[in-house]
Amino acid sequence: MSILAMVLVGLLMGIVFGVALEKSRVFEPGMIVGQFQLRNFIMVKMFLTASATGLVVLAGLNGFGFVELHPKAAIYTATIVGGLLMGGGMAIAGACPGTVLAQIGSGYKDAIAVFAGGILGAMAFGYLEPTLKPILLTGGSGKITYADLLGMPFWQLALIAAAIIVVALALLERRQSWHDELGDDFDGCFEVNGTKSTSSAAGTPTPAE
Amino acid sequence: MVREALVSGLTSRAWSPYAAGVLIGLLQIPAFLAIDTALGASSSYVTMAGHLAALFDGGIAERAYFTKYMTGDKYFWQTALVVGIAAGAFLSSGLSGMRRIGFSPIWRTATGSRTLMGRGVMGFAGGFLLLMGARIAGGCTSGHGISGIAQLAVGSTVAVAAMFAGGILVANLFLKRV
Repeated sequence: MSILAMVLVGLLMGIVFGVALEKSRVFEPGMIVGQFQLRNFIMVKMFLTASATGLVVLAGLNGFGFVELHPKAAIYTATIVGGLLMGGGMAIAGACPGTVLAQIGSGYKDAIAVFAGGILGAMAFGYLEPTLKPILLTGGSGKITYADLLGMPFWQLALIAAAIIVVALALLERRQSWHDELGDDFDGCFEVNGTKSTSSAAGTPTPAE
Repeated sequence: MVREALVSGLTSRAWSPYAAGVLIGLLQIPAFLAIDTALGASSSYVTMAGHLAALFDGGIAERAYFTKYMTGDKYFWQTALVVGIAAGAFLSSGLSGMRRIGFSPIWRTATGSRTLMGRGVMGFAGGFLLLMGARIAGGCTSGHGISGIAQLAVGSTVAVAAMFAGGILVANLFLKRV
């Protein structure tokens, strides 16, 4: 495929991705911070649904031999240090590397600063990579999957994992409905009967707790 | 029929997270079949950062980490993908009358940010940490998260657990409840 075709495919896929992020409201800083404060589970619901769908899709595509998998290498020190930093960054930025673009597209001005900080962060890592490589980016167990560990065909374990995720999501949804988590302004500000949760901090219980 | 469904879908203010999740998960089909890669986002920041650094650093071609992301075809695809995300959210928020202005009201509560400047400085620091962390970990919530779990990758489950741990820690220790 030519580079132009790849760029066009990327743009089209990105538009679908952006619409889905905006409509699910997962791009909202309030949804992301609310998720980390374990008050609003819309982000986890969308994220696990996307993962489960991917598991089913790849069980088919890989099981019938159409595609090879591309799992990332398991480099534990780097993954844990980087993951912790990234999670902290997500809470302060109110975004992840993909959703910050959706925030820019939907009009949030501070997202431009988050994006600029992200470019600088990636640039800083690019310059530091040769130095960090021997400390952080070595060892681990390579590009392994749980199917390799258990000695099962990928498609079998993928379908089992997808089923487990679906059951977990059904239980989560029964405990707290996504309709209630949206709030009146769809921005992740938690509201009870039109009152922002923060103004009822005097002790009024919220249904989420 | 299809047209009506598309119009009503695009003009509605919110979808179920499950509908949006299925749609995003299905994007793995073109990603694997057409590009032979998994959905991801954070590599494109290295592509953009590398091309930006090349403007003032003539020695960038000597740096293997940058050149990998500056020349690989699939990184051009991923850069187009993240540009598309902004276009999709622009379209979606415009069609549903949900355009956002300034910054999210949660920051007033969470961090006491009153001005765009104050919030912008904090956002910039957050963005720096976000991508520094993602590049150390070798992926973000898309690459390690959505795609890593979809491939049952061992390292990705560790990455996702660490991301949640870091996020929960910072959001509860340093941010007020929103």
